[in-house]
Amino acid sequence: MSIPRSSKYISTPIISILLILAVLPALAQNNADTVAATDTVKPEVKKPDKSGRHLSIGVDAYHLVYNHFVPNQSGYEFTADYYLKNDLYVALEGGLGSSDVTYSNLQYHTANGFMRFGVNRSLLLRTDSADWNNMFIGARLAAANVTRGNAAYTINDSVWSNSPNTGSVAGRPFDAYWVELLTGVRVKLVGNISAGWNVRAKFMLNSRSFQDLAPLYIAGYGRGDKNSVFDINFFLWYSINWQRRWQRQHLKAPPPK
Amino acid sequence: MIKRVMVMLAVCAAMACNQERQPCLTPTTASFNIEFIHLTTDTTTVATDTSLPSAAFIPMNGTGSSYVYFYPQQATFTLSLSAETDSCKWVFVPDSANRSQQPDGNLAQWISLLFQDSLASQADTMTFYYKRNLTFLSNACGYAYFYSLDSAHSTQHNVDSLKINNTSVTNNVNTTQLKIYIHPDY
Repeated sequence: MSIPRSSKYISTPIISILLILAVLPALAQNNADTVAATDTVKPEVKKPDKSGRHLSIGVDAYHLVYNHFVPNQSGYEFTADYYLKNDLYVALEGGLGSSDVTYSNLQYHTANGFMRFGVNRSLLLRTDSADWNNMFIGARLAAANVTRGNAAYTINDSVWSNSPNTGSVAGRPFDAYWVELLTGVRVKLVGNISAGWNVRAKFMLNSRSFQDLAPLYIAGYGRGDKNSVFDINFFLWYSINWQRRWQRQHLKAPPPK
Repeated sequence: MIKRVMVMLAVCAAMACNQERQPCLTPTTASFNIEFIHLTTDTTTVATDTSLPSAAFIPMNGTGSSYVYFYPQQATFTLSLSAETDSCKWVFVPDSANRSQQPDGNLAQWISLLFQDSLASQADTMTFYYKRNLTFLSNACGYAYFYSLDSAHSTQHNVDSLKINNTSVTNNVNTTQLKIYIHPDY
């Protein structure tokens, strides 16, 4: 018996290369740090994080473009992240989408919204407190509420009937939960606008709960009939920066004589 | 430089991530696998060569385009169950090479031949009762009916008895659901 192949992404090798490329600079940075550390005997002095507040709001341009190339499927993703301290960001993402399956033997419609919550950790040393370019790794916990309409099916039987056996499976809502591991880069383009890509490995946590008809597409996740998928984003961000309290106090105080 | 690399990689990834509809590589018909066993006497458990010389199977009341199946010498066969009802009948002839006529028509002519020809004395009708289970295979393959066997019965021209070995009839082609014991006198 043949092994079923429910999906065929031909991008896996390229995404693997992207992951390697994303990690190499960080490894090189670590090696450089190691060499530098062996050349000096001075104990490392941890400098206080003097970064200000940094909030970014972004939209995923990749899926906006991708929607035009995949018929009967749409997905929109938005993101926001906020800098905490020590190269750590907290991220909140969301979106919505839908798909129509119009195969000859199966037709149904799905729609869903989703939310993702997690953190990013920058891998690059910053040149100064205003440097928000970074290469990062991150993790997300995601949830989606999927609504699936009635699924019409057709079963052909050349032995017992000349006419195909048709029927319908009642639609129902269900929840999907998954985790993501991601890596990517972000660079400042102009002013407060920055851009960057990231690649994500996603792992479904509750695929058994909708095995009566695993949806072909879940916005924010990808192929709902696969337990793990890869995906990419290309975000355009608008950043808002402001000072922390101690920075404002420091700036108000008169310079020491 | 890093901006150029970033844009280049993003464009490459976008071009490479081309999702296609997957072909259906899973059998979409439940395989009802049967095995014939020929015992030499009523009391022995030793089977002789159980291969049937030229078996033929005909679905009774089937209205599909496929209505008669001839097999070369073998002991295991794959049939299908009807998704229209909760029971179905197959007419079985162990050696169809003995037929005196060669029908060139439809299923009705074949059944007429079987029950009027010299084959009538060796044709057995097997009846199967089952429950139907609509099963989702995949988005590419859609749905299929799997079955849960309840009982099996047969006339006894050449068939001695039936034994359900596995009640689950799925698209697994490696499971034998029914063992058919041929009469020792055959």
